Amino acid sequence: MNAIHDSALPVPERYLRDDPAAGVFDVHRDVYRDPALFELEMRHVFERHWVFLAHETQLPKPLDYLATWIGRQPVLLHRDDKGKIGAFLNVCPHKGAAVCQSESGNRKFHVCPYHGWTFDARGNCVLVKDRAQGAYPAHFEQADTRLPPLARFGNYRGFLFGSLNPDVPPLEEHLAGISAFLDMIVDQSEHGTEVIPGRSYYTYDANWKMQLENCLDAYHLTSTHPSFINIAASRASGGSSFRNIDIADFVDPAIPSGSYTFANGHGAIWIHTANPEVRPLYRQYDALKARVGQQRADMMLKTINFTVFPNLQFSCNACIQMRVMRPLAVDRTEMRSYCIGPKGEPADQRKLRIHQFEDFFNPTGLATPDDSRVYESVQMGLRARSAPAVGLGHLRGLRQVIQGPDEFAREIGITPLTSSSGRSDVQDETVFHGSYREWARRIKAGLASEVTP
Amino acid sequence: MSPEQALATGSALLYRQARLLDERRWQDWLDLFTEDCEYWVPAWLSEQRQTEDPNTQVSLIYYDLRSRLADRVWRVQSGTSVASDPMPRTCHAITNIQVDEAGDDAIRLFAVFRVDYHWRAQSQAYFGHYQHTLRRDGTDWRIARQKISVLNDYIPTLLDFYLV
Ligand code: FES
Ligand SMILES: [Fe+2]
Repeated sequence: MNAIHDSALPVPERYLRDDPAAGVFDVHRDVYRDPALFELEMRHVFERHWVFLAHETQLPKPLDYLATWIGRQPVLLHRDDKGKIGAFLNVCPHKGAAVCQSESGNRKFHVCPYHGWTFDARGNCVLVKDRAQGAYPAHFEQADTRLPPLARFGNYRGFLFGSLNPDVPPLEEHLAGISAFLDMIVDQSEHGTEVIPGRSYYTYDANWKMQLENCLDAYHLTSTHPSFINIAASRASGGSSFRNIDIADFVDPAIPSGSYTFANGHGAIWIHTANPEVRPLYRQYDALKARVGQQRADMMLKTINFTVFPNLQFSCNACIQMRVMRPLAVDRTEMRSYCIGPKGEPADQRKLRIHQFEDFFNPTGLATPDDSRVYESVQMGLRARSAPAVGLGHLRGLRQVIQGPDEFAREIGITPLTSSSGRSDVQDETVFHGSYREWARRIKAGLASEVTP
Repeated sequence: MSPEQALATGSALLYRQARLLDERRWQDWLDLFTEDCEYWVPAWLSEQRQTEDPNTQVSLIYYDLRSRLADRVWRVQSGTSVASDPMPRTCHAITNIQVDEAGDDAIRLFAVFRVDYHWRAQSQAYFGHYQHTLRRDGTDWRIARQKISVLNDYIPTLLDFYLV
């Protein structure tokens, strides 16, 4: 077997050594710190595949629009007067100005700020200013003046995804087994799910994959969040009406838990909930059971965190957080954080959900700032170039992994590529492997497609 | 109470709050608030509109009890929060204080703030508007409501009560 980072090896094998039979999964530290690799992942991981754009309830009304990104490229979503959402690159066909300057709103037309070309919600150019006087050649008259539509645009039960490359599998196929977890969020109400208004955007000075991993990292909870765990414990023992995550979920090692990797880079972890009654959803338990069955209802009350590779994550414990990652540089990441809730839930349940969310997940809350600072600590530590090139952060739990679904996966009807289950104190790190395998696969395929014969 | 008296009373309390935060005299800071105080940092819906209802929309911070603020103080003092170790040095500047209501038992104020802070060789700042409701408590005045509208809400890593 070749040593990792042997420069004779092609990219990406140079950066990832993956041999489960030998108990090896090594990620080279350049994966988090090399700007050249960042460029490759923007081109081949983000800008050639399905990427999450937004949830449809973020643009609820006709003529609502929202500006977002695929990798580094600006995207505009616009709902037309009939309610259909279109997805375009936010770039004027004239000289390239962004036609939409603001992040969201409601309007019939986007008027380009530079020369006033005007586009409707379907991306059609409805006005080329002073076209008749323009002495334009035939070439111009035949040219496409629309806002460039995304090559692919898909809606999975309200979650909107786009791709700049037409040559991707259908969205449902891309989502593979992770769609069962999206279903678990959507089906919490018979009316579906919604993004609760009020967003927070924040940045941290570290690689985007710190967040990618951390969402599924149970190992850090007791060491990064002791302050939150203590506050939760004192609220519980003081009989506070304001309960959040129950710490028993995280510190009782006997609690059952598991993790799964799926095709196309997605992954999930679950932890059994010691006391589901602190969760807003529990107030609907009987109705929920009647509608979706006991097994799925119980599943919805577990702690479940999952990644829809590469840029969308959910943390579902007391409440549900939706996180959207946008890598800005190899050592800088933008996060968009939203609270998700079942549509039509009772006011007291919604209120509790919102305040639990603010308490734990906000960048102004009692837990997320600790995570973000830790990512920055890692990025700082990674400047140590003379330290071993390979990190040891992906090995915990490796002896426990099995191929295919485990018993619990079969019970709930999902088909992961690998499963790992047992006591919660295993705090498995192998759940990241699926994302790195997909990362490598995409970079490899991307590089191959760029080679001119 | 005359507007002049209200301005003098309110300004003194706001300046005191700023100083207590900068000097990290947390218990004295907590004592400025009533037991049932509302502490609210709204989030933004879009560039132009902020959230208006903390029970149906997500805020950056929302508490309606002083004991919740005490949780946050405990956290930064505990030495167990990575985010506040080391604590940033802060400098609260408050200006443009205006009296919106000058009652005998309640004063409402508007003010603007800027908090510069320094952490690990970096200096940054948050700025925005304060809206305060102060309530008379015997001879003292306390903060019954504090609404903090942060205008630069694209948050570098974190934002906490000691930074606004
Ligand atoms: S760049 Fe848009 S009209 Fe000229
Ligand atoms: Fe965390």
